[in-house]
Formats: sequence, C-alpha cells, structure tokens
Amino acid sequence: MPLPEFDFIRPKSVEELTSILAKHGGEAKLMAGGTDLLVLMRDRLVRPRYVVDVKGIKELRRLSWDEGRGLTIGAAVTMNEIIASDVIRKRFGALWSGASDLADPTVRSRATLVGNICNASPAADTAPALLVHSAVVEAVGAKGSRKIPIQDFFKGVKRTALGPDEFVKAVHLPNPPDGAKSWYLKWKRTWGEDLALVGVAALVANTKKWVVRVAFSSVAPTPVLVPDVQSAFEGPGTLEEKIEKAATYIPGGICPITDVRCQAEYRTYIAGVLVKRVLRKLLGLS
Amino acid sequence: MSRHRISVRVNGQLYEREVEARRTLLQFIRDDLDMTGTKCACERGDCGLCTVLIDGTPTKSCLVLAAEVDGREITTIEGLMKGEELNRVQRAFIEHGAVQCGFCTSAFILAGEALLKRNPKPTEEEIKEAVGGILCRCTGYRQIIDAILDAAKGAKK
Repeated sequence: MPLPEFDFIRPKSVEELTSILAKHGGEAKLMAGGTDLLVLMRDRLVRPRYVVDVKGIKELRRLSWDEGRGLTIGAAVTMNEIIASDVIRKRFGALWSGASDLADPTVRSRATLVGNICNASPAADTAPALLVHSAVVEAVGAKGSRKIPIQDFFKGVKRTALGPDEFVKAVHLPNPPDGAKSWYLKWKRTWGEDLALVGVAALVANTKKWVVRVAFSSVAPTPVLVPDVQSAFEGPGTLEEKIEKAATYIPGGICPITDVRCQAEYRTYIAGVLVKRVLRKLLGLS
Repeated sequence: MSRHRISVRVNGQLYEREVEARRTLLQFIRDDLDMTGTKCACERGDCGLCTVLIDGTPTKSCLVLAAEVDGREITTIEGLMKGEELNRVQRAFIEHGAVQCGFCTSAFILAGEALLKRNPKPTEEEIKEAVGGILCRCTGYRQIIDAILDAAKGAKK
C-alpha cells in the first residue's frame, strides 16, 4: 500500500532545519532512520504534510567523546554506529547493550538514538540507559536552544517536552562517576527480536560512596527512573541483602499495564527479577 | 506532493528517475525497475524480506524512501551473479537445500553475502546475529545458517 501523500524536504544545515520548523512545525515530522515514522505513516497514525529528513545535515552525524565533556550523540547517529564505538561499550555499557538489543541488526543500520527517544515509546530500549546516565537533551527551536534533562523529556505515551518548532540536535551523556559500570537487560517473548516486555538499565559505582541508579522501559507510560533503589545501598548489610532490598522498591516505582504482550502482574514480577539480575551482574556476583 | 529526481546505481547500472516523495525504495525497485527478486511482505520492517544492500549494508527497503537514495549504490539479488556464474552464497543455498518456499531467500542471501564481505570467517553466532532481522516462515533456519557457514569456507563444487 502506498504511503499517504507528503512533501519531502532535506535540509543541509541546522539553520535551514530551524527555519523549516519555525514555518511548518505543526505539520512536519522529522525523519532520521524512518524505522518508526514510516510504519506510523503507513498505518495512517500520523499524517504529516512535510517529512523532513535530518540525515543530510553533517553536524547531526557527529558522535564524539572527551574526558571533559563526556559523550555527545548527534540526531542522525545510528544504533550500529553506537554499537561500533569502543568508548560507549566500555564506559556507557547500558547504552551499548540497549542499542545492541533494539530491534535487529538490519533495522539498527538505520534506526537512531534520537529517533528512539523522540518517538517516545514506553518501550524505547535506549531510554533507560539515558536515564541512569543522567543524559541531557539539546533541543533547538526558533527561539534558540535549551537543555532538557532526560527525566523531564518524556511526557507521556508518544509525547515529549519538545515544542512544535523544536528538534533534538544531540544527546549529551556526562562521564559516569569513577568506577561506574552500567548495563541493560531486556525481557522478550522471542530472543531474535521483540519489543521489551520489561527492560531495565542499572548503573552502579562505589568508589567513595554508593551511586546506584535503576530505570525501566515498558512498565509505565514513559521510561522511568526508580530513585529509591539508591537508599537500599546506603545502609548496612551484605551485597546480596542490598540487592534484595533494592528489588522491594520496584513495585512502588512502576505502574505497568496489561497489553497484547503480557499481563501487568507478570511485568511487575519480571521487573523485580531483572533488577536483581542486572545488579548482580554489575557487582560481579554472577 | 513533492517529486524528486534521483540518480541511483542499482546492480552497477545507473538509473535516473523522477519519484514521488512517498515512493519507497522497495516500490521503486519492484514497480519502477521491474526487479521482483526483492520481496514485499509486511511493509513495516518486521519480516526483513525486502532487504537490499545500500552501499553494502543490509537495509529493509520498505522503510527507506526512494528520494533518500539519490547518489547511493544498491545491490539486489539480481546483482549477485557474475555473468552466468552464481554467487558463493547462492551456490551454497542450493547445495544445502536452504530454499523451501523461496520467499525469504533473496533477503538471506544478500544478508549472508554482506556479512562475508565484512567478516569472511563468521562464527555460527555471528551469522545468527547478522540474519536476525529476516524471518523464514518455513522455519528452515538450520539449512540457511549451514549454507552461509559453508559459503565462508568456499562453497563445495
């Protein structure tokens, strides 16, 4: 079946893109990899008058890291480019494993990190990693640019904090605390490819004091952090006891639904199992 | 709706065409160029049967606009033979009976060939990962994986 009709625009610069959105923002959809957008358009769930391809803007293809500024991922950087980065694999393990578990390798050659978060699916595989890594979204609009902490970016199912004239230029991840490790685990119905029934990212560091962050996909209207987990590590007790205690905070921090993929009760149960599993992995207990 | 002039090399031959903005690469290949070896099934990026190589990278052509591939190089299943000679992966698929209904075959062969170009001696796990985006509803995966493993060794005569 043909896609609905639209005009296709391919700006060459951030300035050009900004002025296109200033004029047509409400009627335009940005396309990076297109792996979500074209499916939504085929189903007539979105009917943009303009499809604006951001891949022609060189600046947005940039993936860079340095000790001072941390990691910067431009809006047109693909999942496969993220997976190929040694720095991301070594220092931002949750992002690396989240990107590696998203869809399948053929889709990952086109799908982008920024597209994944702008689509704002509750199941976005890279969102929990961005939450535990305290990422900041750089949004650009007609009135200039602003920085949005990732936990303020998701506003609901398929809704973000972006205004109609705004786009995400890049996502920044600060360097993690000393000695930090992070990882993402995803529970699926089939191991080849599936949306997450539950996804969990965790970051753990314990050089001077405990830093423990846990975030989920597919258990709430948006990807969510469960900040209480940190307190489980601050009291006395063995690592196993701390991990058990951390898991007790999960049901109060999530609000899963029953859908075509599984039941709410099952999601709550699996979220507890996965959080223990990912913490054990990061703490060297399994 | 906007229209776009594209100049794209498909299987080594240059095509200059005008396409509607909404034309997908899959529709362009099948309906404008009449190359029907690339299959159309789910049209939503799930099945992978429309896989072609864009500049050597396996890509689901139902999720690419034709207007995006201006200046790029596309390889479809029609482009793998050299003259009358089958490609190594094509030969291995025949030898291993890796073809049942045949609908997924083009996609698996292209993904297999792209993998071998990038990684001439893949492990079984690497092959499974590389073809993970393609579904075979006859479920003949064992033969498909064996064929790609064998093609890596140099297909039997």
